[in-house]
Amino acid sequence: MPYYPSRKITIIAQDPSIQVGGKIVRTQIEIPNEELEPGPRGYRVQVVDYDSTTNTLYKTVPRPPNHSDDLPADPFATMTDAQLLASPDFHAMNVYAIVMRTLSRFEFALGRRVAWSFQGHQIQVAPHAFADANAFYSPDDQALMFGYFPKVKTKGYVFGCLAHDVIAHETTHALLDGLRERFTDPSSPEQAGFHEGFADIVAILSVFSMRDVVAKVLDPTGRRVMMNASNVTLKALRESILTGLAEQFGEELSGIRGNALRRSVTLLPGQDYLHDPEFEEPHRRGEVLVAAIINVFLEVWVARMQPYIHPDKTLDRKRAVEEGAEVADHLLTICVRAIDYCPPTDLEFCDFASALLTSDWEMYPKDLKYRFREQLYKSFNAYGIVPTSKGEREPGTWDPPPQGDKDHRVVYDRTHFEEMKCDYDEVFRFIWENRRAFKLSEEAYTRVQSVRPCVRVGDDGFTLRETVVEYIQQLTIRASELKRLKIEKPEGMPKDLQVTLYGGNAMIFDQYGRLKYNVGNSIFNAERQSRRMKYLWQYGFFKPGASKMRRFASMHRKRMSGWGQAGGAAVADWTAHEEQVEQPQECD
Amino acid sequence: MAKIQVKKSAVTAAKKVTAKKAASKKTPAKKVAAKPAAGKGPVKLTLRAYNVGFGDCFLLTFEYPKFKRRILIDYGSTAAPKNADDDYMMAIAKDIEAQCTDADGVARLDAVVATHRHRDHISGFSTEGDNTGGVIARMNPGLVIQPWTEDPEAQPKADEATATTFTGGKPDAKAFIASLHNMNRMAGAIAEASRDEHLGLSTKMASQMGFLGDNNLPNKSAVVNLMEMGKKGRAAYVNAGSKSGLEPVLPGVTVHVLGPPNLKQTQSIKKEKDRDANEFWQFAAFWQFQAAAGESVDLKVPLFPAAEAHEVHAIPANVRWFVGRAQKIRGEQLMELVRSLDTAMNNTSVILLFQVGGKSFLFPGDAQIENWQFALSQEPVKEMLKSVDVYKVGHHGSLNATPKSLWALFEHKHETPAPDRLTTVVSTKPGKHGSVQSHTEVPRSTLVAELQKESEYFSTQDLLKSQICKEYEFEL
Ligand SMILES: [Zn+2]
Ligand SMILES: [Zn+2]
Repeated sequence: MPYYPSRKITIIAQDPSIQVGGKIVRTQIEIPNEELEPGPRGYRVQVVDYDSTTNTLYKTVPRPPNHSDDLPADPFATMTDAQLLASPDFHAMNVYAIVMRTLSRFEFALGRRVAWSFQGHQIQVAPHAFADANAFYSPDDQALMFGYFPKVKTKGYVFGCLAHDVIAHETTHALLDGLRERFTDPSSPEQAGFHEGFADIVAILSVFSMRDVVAKVLDPTGRRVMMNASNVTLKALRESILTGLAEQFGEELSGIRGNALRRSVTLLPGQDYLHDPEFEEPHRRGEVLVAAIINVFLEVWVARMQPYIHPDKTLDRKRAVEEGAEVADHLLTICVRAIDYCPPTDLEFCDFASALLTSDWEMYPKDLKYRFREQLYKSFNAYGIVPTSKGEREPGTWDPPPQGDKDHRVVYDRTHFEEMKCDYDEVFRFIWENRRAFKLSEEAYTRVQSVRPCVRVGDDGFTLRETVVEYIQQLTIRASELKRLKIEKPEGMPKDLQVTLYGGNAMIFDQYGRLKYNVGNSIFNAERQSRRMKYLWQYGFFKPGASKMRRFASMHRKRMSGWGQAGGAAVADWTAHEEQVEQPQECD
Repeated sequence: MAKIQVKKSAVTAAKKVTAKKAASKKTPAKKVAAKPAAGKGPVKLTLRAYNVGFGDCFLLTFEYPKFKRRILIDYGSTAAPKNADDDYMMAIAKDIEAQCTDADGVARLDAVVATHRHRDHISGFSTEGDNTGGVIARMNPGLVIQPWTEDPEAQPKADEATATTFTGGKPDAKAFIASLHNMNRMAGAIAEASRDEHLGLSTKMASQMGFLGDNNLPNKSAVVNLMEMGKKGRAAYVNAGSKSGLEPVLPGVTVHVLGPPNLKQTQSIKKEKDRDANEFWQFAAFWQFQAAAGESVDLKVPLFPAAEAHEVHAIPANVRWFVGRAQKIRGEQLMELVRSLDTAMNNTSVILLFQVGGKSFLFPGDAQIENWQFALSQEPVKEMLKSVDVYKVGHHGSLNATPKSLWALFEHKHETPAPDRLTTVVSTKPGKHGSVQSHTEVPRSTLVAELQKESEYFSTQDLLKSQICKEYEFEL
């Protein structure tokens, strides 16, 4: 019997409110094929259709059950919209398929298996977890929870599990948390905003990589063949995304997510957002990153369509759609890949910018097809995000690491690279042997956090073998000792308060075991450490019992329900009475 | 600052109260510049802080040479004082009536302030049950003061409250008030859910959730009674900076309304101007969705009634762990929701500052930091707050209703007894709200410690069963 590695399955392309000609826009996606248990429950994703509001556990069976490696049919392709909406089986399959697709996109981009953030291989997904305008990733419960709630103006329900962007967003939280566990540490408004921003970027690009969605943007009626060249300018595209898609996103689902898409096309380049106090709030800051990336998507898309414009100023709509979806897909890949090139602690947008430029450079050193890097570099700067690295080879990309100074050369001959690809202790030895060349803090606790060999494949079939290692350094000292490290002690911080400094690097080895990059933030970077201390002190993170970071659930909720709530400064105000910043959960 | 004789005593419920003479009047109050026409003001203010358990009820009696004026600030309870008789609220109504009775045998209450629509502040105005609200109404309060959010003119119609289309327009009062109504609706659903056994809530958590849910129910009878009393006399729906309506009632007394801010005022202190419309829309939509979600779901009927489901007792072993977790998450989510709507409602509280005879009395209801922010952004207001002599501790002593920036302004704080030492009084009952473990218990121990250290502090929880209230007398 032949083995089919992938199967096709019908999903709702974005959400049921996105329609053409009165019909929900659907699409078929390809996901890994596997023998599913009822749920569906597979090797990475387990759907448990339990509704805690009504205390109901549905018996969901994948139809038809594929108890073999056969190529299963796509049973939902022929069902009517009304049938799809009324079928818990379809809901379960839709959410399963999109979580699997998001996981596959990460695995493809990174060129290896990608683990969830928790111990355990299978994430639990509850498609109708509660009657509530909410959806979130809960690491403690190893789960993605999607709510449902009645429509306000018409009959029927809004389902989080039928919204592509919501599912991709939550799945991204679960994957990013697994890739970079320190990104949820309190550090700076940028690190706090990154999780949300990155999840939005993946969600939006994932939706735009669906041809049917792009087609809907360019032609709401679904009937036209040719389109006018005046519709493929940057301005026109922003406008049609806004009216053709973003408004409807807002219509039903803003109760869950706000409207990231709308914000991303209305925050225009050319303003120094990051120095505007208005953008100090983490979510707002995250939106700047999203807008910068979506701006690149639009720029490249517009550029790619130019050759297809006929002398009569028209172009083939289908061509335009394909270009859009392809650009989104490519951009999605390099954005995900960029995570490997990010420092493991205290991330700022400028680091992500360098990481993204580098990830593209590694894969497409010539950059002829899309001219992405040019646009990325331009766009980041236009949004005030200046890449951390100047870039000796190309603007903004990380530089190869110095091979040490004359007293301390980087040494390779005391370790074996074959071992280093899987053995944490061997990698640690390499780091230890080179602690002087790498200018590490010798007093800090140092630990290898991950070792990940990968084989990355480009659009052109080119493969790139790399091994990605993360290590972190952690140093707990008294506030009075900060001075010794030239770090400014925040005003009012007691001398004997214990503070922990973090540093850490991502090391990228090439296939021969030579170090290509060694990027990170050092404990000795006094400027950054001072900034971090000041921020954390100001926002009360050093008070005993202060929580790590607001849980994803309440982060989303806060965004929605928080109008009229005090901002950070005011919160810091009354916490002076108090030990903590965030109201913790009730637990007995 | 004038030296003022302050006499405080706990008053027993049993005996009729006789006016207490101040021990001496050797130091007449100095007039401050702000005080209007000398001789027209009151000579004494009596403040009674009733023991309503968890709730607020304060009676202010201003004694003028020839008459008295009485103001009732809040009258509600959600949890009886310990060992209280069943009719403790009626006993308080009767005591208020006695206090308000003039020599001619007629009980006269001049004004009622309902700081916000929480049950623990207005339940006594209800005309249901033993009809304590009727006792108050009989005294014909000529003025009812409530926050602008209660203005009947600004109320959305029933269909607007449940099915308004939020189009992302500018913040508007009706949409905001609709959100408050939606919170009331959601509270009902949450109070209901707190009794759901399958959510596996601990007894403590279920009772907290039920408590907060109940406190945020619509309180229809009390709301209607307040509105009717307002119609009969005058009604003032106030916001920061507006007139209190007390001007003719209290000659020689200046009353400042410091909160709640209206929408414009709230926005004026926000940095994020361009986002307001959007955020406002999200806020309104959020509560609309929540209320709809909470109400629409009949707990007995599953979302897909036709779909096959497992029997409750036959949940497969491989998903039992997750089902348990999902139930727990739901409990936590509901708790979080009910807390945030409780906060939003608290922030509609009227904040009143009375200035009389060189003394200042501050009554902030349950206002939390978000309400206070506007007042605290105004320099002249900050200036006035410095000289507060009596502070009704906000929100039953919760941690987030006495902003540190407010507390820091008070200049009459002293660690040791002093003639002009700040008086603080809190009406509260422990064990009802928040938890010690999460440092959110009400009253909050760290705040109480600070109040005890720096001021003449009293909590109604320390009243004995035989004491109906704590009485203060201030010579003016
Ligand atoms: Zn209260
Ligand atoms: Zn309240």
